[in-house]
Amino acid sequence: MATLDYKEKILVVDDFVTMRRIVKNLLKQLGYENIMEAEDGEQAYAKLKGGGFGFVVSDWNMPNLDGLGLVQKVRSDPELKSLPFLMVTAEAEKEKVIEAIKAGVSNYVVKPFTAEILKEKIEKIFEKLGK
Amino acid sequence: MTDDMQEIISDFVTEAEESLDRIDPLFVELETNGEDKEILNDIFRCVHTLKGAAGFLGFQPVVDVAHTSENILKRLREGEIALSKRIVDAILASVDTLRVLIGHVKHGENLDENIGPLLAELDAALAEASGKPGNGGSHPAEAPSAASPAPAPAAVADAPVAVSAPAPVAAATAAAVPAAAKAAPAPPADKEAEKAAPEKKDAEKKKDEVSNLRVDIGRIDKVMDLTGEVVLARNRLLNLINTISAHYADDPAVSNVMETVSFLDLVTSDLQLSVMKMRMQALQKVFGKFPRVVRDLASAIGKEVDLKITGEETEVDRSVIEHIGDPMVHIIRNAIDHGLEAPEARKAKGKPERGTISIDASQRGNQIVIEISDDGKGIDLDRVKRKAIERGIVSADEAERMTEEAAIGLIFQAGFSTMDVATELSGRGVGMDVVKTSISKLSGFVEVKTRKDEGTTFRVNIPLTLAIIQALMVRTAGVQYAVPLSLIEEIVRVAPEEIALAGGRRVLVLREKVLPFYELSEMLGKGRPPEGAVRYAVVVAVGDSRFCLSVDKLLGEEEVVIKPLEGIVTEASHTLGSTITGDGKVVLILDLASISRSLTGSKRT
Repeated sequence: MATLDYKEKILVVDDFVTMRRIVKNLLKQLGYENIMEAEDGEQAYAKLKGGGFGFVVSDWNMPNLDGLGLVQKVRSDPELKSLPFLMVTAEAEKEKVIEAIKAGVSNYVVKPFTAEILKEKIEKIFEKLGK
Repeated sequence: MTDDMQEIISDFVTEAEESLDRIDPLFVELETNGEDKEILNDIFRCVHTLKGAAGFLGFQPVVDVAHTSENILKRLREGEIALSKRIVDAILASVDTLRVLIGHVKHGENLDENIGPLLAELDAALAEASGKPGNGGSHPAEAPSAASPAPAPAAVADAPVAVSAPAPVAAATAAAVPAAAKAAPAPPADKEAEKAAPEKKDAEKKKDEVSNLRVDIGRIDKVMDLTGEVVLARNRLLNLINTISAHYADDPAVSNVMETVSFLDLVTSDLQLSVMKMRMQALQKVFGKFPRVVRDLASAIGKEVDLKITGEETEVDRSVIEHIGDPMVHIIRNAIDHGLEAPEARKAKGKPERGTISIDASQRGNQIVIEISDDGKGIDLDRVKRKAIERGIVSADEAERMTEEAAIGLIFQAGFSTMDVATELSGRGVGMDVVKTSISKLSGFVEVKTRKDEGTTFRVNIPLTLAIIQALMVRTAGVQYAVPLSLIEEIVRVAPEEIALAGGRRVLVLREKVLPFYELSEMLGKGRPPEGAVRYAVVVAVGDSRFCLSVDKLLGEEEVVIKPLEGIVTEASHTLGSTITGDGKVVLILDLASISRSLTGSKRT
């Protein structure tokens, strides 16, 4: 698919409630309604295994299993390995982004970001997949 | 969308406040116990998250302060720089500033704070610390040498110290709730487990994790209100069913109803307890601020103080949490300022140079007892009496004849203070009486014990349940009153001949103890009972004070819901509020603590 369909189920992963709500709100602004949440990488992985997700937005720093760990786990799982994955990073972590890309993230976005920026990132991800 | 944003901002404020509240004691612990990577990590994450959310919500000043602090915290965490007093002061100052900024957000105000000086100081502290690289090892921050720099700049000192009670929530409704606050400390601390022992910490975390729900306080209060109504209705029902069953004992339908009402009775009691528990929070929420208060104060006046806290897991009603902090802080300040001696003076007395303040909280029956002790020089009663005479609070004669208890009570008088120069911290003579009033408002009281050169203990007593109590119903001068059972020691039938006179005052001798004897009707301004009438003496114990309140008739015990009387309840009225009894009457509930106070005031021994 060349875009992320509005009906697709999206998983937002961050260990802080406020952050999850902010990201969820931004996604809603873009028209996505089917949004689930997870508090850390482990919980996220468990939910993803349940199936039906079309997109993941995850923070990097989390307890139990961080963003990098999650992406690695997802990419090594035959059922989930082509799941589009957007990593949220802080300005200071940009050097670590190389690691994330090596691990297989579809794209990354630096916080804070606006709905427009998020939209661009999503479009970039799905354009690549469409090809 | 705006409602969503409002909610998000509300949640952000709540989470931010909780995070900031956690940082204070953590930092103080760091300073005394040396660098702990886990604690540093915890603090770093708090600030980092705060910065992240603030960035999204457009609160730039918050981002700036958080970002600059974060830099320092990161370097500390990596062991690149060492902890110094200057750094601790600077970070604590930024925590204070963040609190102020978050406060502005909460009230929908502009984030108009001059953070320039703070940022400059943070940068300067970092630069200085970078000049002398840390060795990454743990060492207590008392290490700073004589070359220690001056404390944080004046602009920062204006930031309010974080001990005020939380401001009332503005138009937005969402607010943190007891259970949510309780869960916050446990999981994050565990989350920052070192890679070395992840499994052990995970197991611990699963044990500590509590399932929580954020609930609007207004909704809980509504449930409490309705529960109160249910209790009253239950009382009424019990009353009615007893009357009916007396007349129709043989009717099976009646016994069925009785059974059902009994069941309802049990369930209502359980409901009441459960609702009460919903509003309860651990005192840790209040005690968490104290390490910082003690540290700042001790440091400011050059004393060395250790703070020991026990019983912080004791739970109390939310209203207590909100109002007990200020009086306690004042007592602590007094202890440090007046009670504890300077290190040299302590050494000269053969005491350890570091003074100790101990805070202990426990539940004893229906009361919560909080003790604040210091091992200082004790209250100088002669000096107290002299000052009281000077300020015209008592005459020289009265001071002569005063009991130790009454003399100690002088410090609670308005306008009293023994500090000759009002220090910024206390000694302005408005402290102790405000403490007493604050605690009375919680239906509690304070007792003080002191010994010269050994120290002083303030003991605060607060009832556990504020809204529903067991009461003894009495009648006097034709009016029915409810008397809180928890403060009643016993009830005695008194023949007129048994009432004696001692020093011009009426007393009752009970098992060799002499108790002051007062007519309730007189206290309430309703005149005296006829001479020679049989009396019923309710023996009341409030703190160290014991006395008898005499009434015409005893009517039995009842569980009552305290309904506050708007605009009428004052010290002079001696009432806690009113209630509706099982048989549908409106009855005033007596405030025994207030009665006791007015009696002690007029008592001269």
